[in-house]
Amino acid sequence: MNTENKNVTAGIVDDDEIFTYGFKKLTTIKGLFDKTLNFSNGKQAIDFLKDPQNAHRLPDVLFVDINMPVMNGWEFNDAFEEIKSQLGKNILIYNISSSIDLEDIKRAKNNPLIADYLLKPIDELYLAEIARSLQNPTDRRRYN
Amino acid sequence: MSFSESHKFSAEGIAHIARIIDQINLGIWEYNTDTKEVKWSSGFYSALGYTPGEIECSYNFFFDQLLYYHDKQIFLKATHHPRQGGSPVAHIRLLTKQNGYQWFESTTQKHDAADGPVIYGVLTNINALKISQIRAAEAEFKSNEIGRIAKIGSWEIDTATMGLTFSKEMYDIFELNTQVKMSVEEAISFFEPQFRQVLTNVINDALNYCKPYDIELLFKTAKNNVIWVRSKGIPVINDHGKCITIRGIFQDIDSIKRKGITLQSSITLLDDQNKRLQNFAYIVSHNLRSHSGNLKFMVNLFEEAKLGEERTEIFSHIKTISESLSATMGHLDEIVRIQSEISRERKLLDFETIFNNVASALHTNIDRTNAVINTDFSGCPQVEYIPAYLESILQNLLTNAIKYKHPNRNPVINIATQKVGNDVYLVFEDNGIGIDMQRHGDQLFGMYKTFHQNSDSKGIGLFITRNQVEALGGSIQVDSTVNVGTKFTVRLV
Repeated sequence: MNTENKNVTAGIVDDDEIFTYGFKKLTTIKGLFDKTLNFSNGKQAIDFLKDPQNAHRLPDVLFVDINMPVMNGWEFNDAFEEIKSQLGKNILIYNISSSIDLEDIKRAKNNPLIADYLLKPIDELYLAEIARSLQNPTDRRRYN
Repeated sequence: MSFSESHKFSAEGIAHIARIIDQINLGIWEYNTDTKEVKWSSGFYSALGYTPGEIECSYNFFFDQLLYYHDKQIFLKATHHPRQGGSPVAHIRLLTKQNGYQWFESTTQKHDAADGPVIYGVLTNINALKISQIRAAEAEFKSNEIGRIAKIGSWEIDTATMGLTFSKEMYDIFELNTQVKMSVEEAISFFEPQFRQVLTNVINDALNYCKPYDIELLFKTAKNNVIWVRSKGIPVINDHGKCITIRGIFQDIDSIKRKGITLQSSITLLDDQNKRLQNFAYIVSHNLRSHSGNLKFMVNLFEEAKLGEERTEIFSHIKTISESLSATMGHLDEIVRIQSEISRERKLLDFETIFNNVASALHTNIDRTNAVINTDFSGCPQVEYIPAYLESILQNLLTNAIKYKHPNRNPVINIATQKVGNDVYLVFEDNGIGIDMQRHGDQLFGMYKTFHQNSDSKGIGLFITRNQVEALGGSIQVDSTVNVGTKFTVRLV
């Protein structure tokens, strides 16, 4: 890994504890992200992002599950859109889900706010690619 | 003043009258009953298509050759009418030269002349009129027949008098033997109470705003048969655009409507079942997919992990997944069992007894939360139901009420039964945290749908409850207010 790479913080928003555990374990083993935050539903994540005390530790990328209690992925997407402009950082959003329902996939892909829709189990190589592009900011332009 | 009163006839005058008689376009005849002498006017011949002298001018020829045999009786009766000076009218058929038998109107008059009693008569061709009369009668008969076959009656309201007139078929639909005159209000009173205002409103709209209508209503006949009818009304307007008459039809559509209603309810049922199956398949796929995805994920990590303690940790997750998979399979079994248990025998069950069993099984939860449970099964103490279902329904609702209690107060749960008509209702009310119906109302009974951050929410209880209730033809309804409580109304049968 390049020494000029910037530090990348990721966030996982999912109520599935096993998946969250696996995600953190995998990214640690592979050294994909410098830090990984986790939130068990959309509301927790939104509350964290909105809190000015967290302004200096906002994640660069969020992986948001669709099926969650309290605030699900769709509702998170809407809530995020509202606060996006007030955040001091450009945060990439990926939706993740086990749902292979075409309606769900279309809904996420049609949302310009969402970088992509990832099917669980998550593809390691794709995850590594996302991490690399975040570490090397020149690649990030396409998302801005 | 008439001719016979005003004239004193001279010989010239009589000859003149004879000419007029000959030229007039009517068949005029004269018959002396004593001498049997017969005179026919030129018009008589021409009315039959002949020229004078072309046919024998005699009573016998007329009676045997020209007069239709069926009309002889009528003609004789009219001609030999005993009353002097009368003019009985008969409609008879005479054979014409070109056009076969045609209808004539025969007017006769008796007069006693010097040489014996004379009968005078006038024949007018009324064929066209008679034919149209017959056609009109046929048409009326046909339209009545059609109305009878189609069970369609027709009616009219005259807006000036609000008088109502009915066709014969109307009385048949009303099942009234006598064709009594009825007021609009009286006619409306035949409809079932919930439809009377509807009908009154549309009639008023037709009267006041010239709005036509076409509605289907429940109607009770004079013999107390309740049937579906269709009433269609069209306002007839005058030159000023005011409604002067409402004209309409009235049709017995009972068999069609009832078939339609049955069909609609089976479609709704099928539709619901179909949606549930689709939802079920989707959920199963989603749920198994997420477990198997996690399993694959953990197995891969297990291989990558170097440290023994890491591997132990990962393996514990694999065990959890294995347990979740078994639990999911258990849920699937349970749902399949609901379908297979439908055919099980229903038994007459005491709500009290079943509920006490359920409550004692859950007594630890009840005691721990200090829950107060008020039951009132007096509204309907018993129900014919599958025992396992009733137990499961009560258990799920009770578990939910306790699980989703409000954090700041002890649970108070009110359970009651009611009988409305033939339906048995179970009402389950709590003072728990409630649920946002706006957001989650349509998902409340979905499988694996959870709405609260509660570690033991699995999203299976209400899904199963609804399946059990609906499998036996019932329905379940929910009202809820966040922070106030939730009320489930279950129609068991």
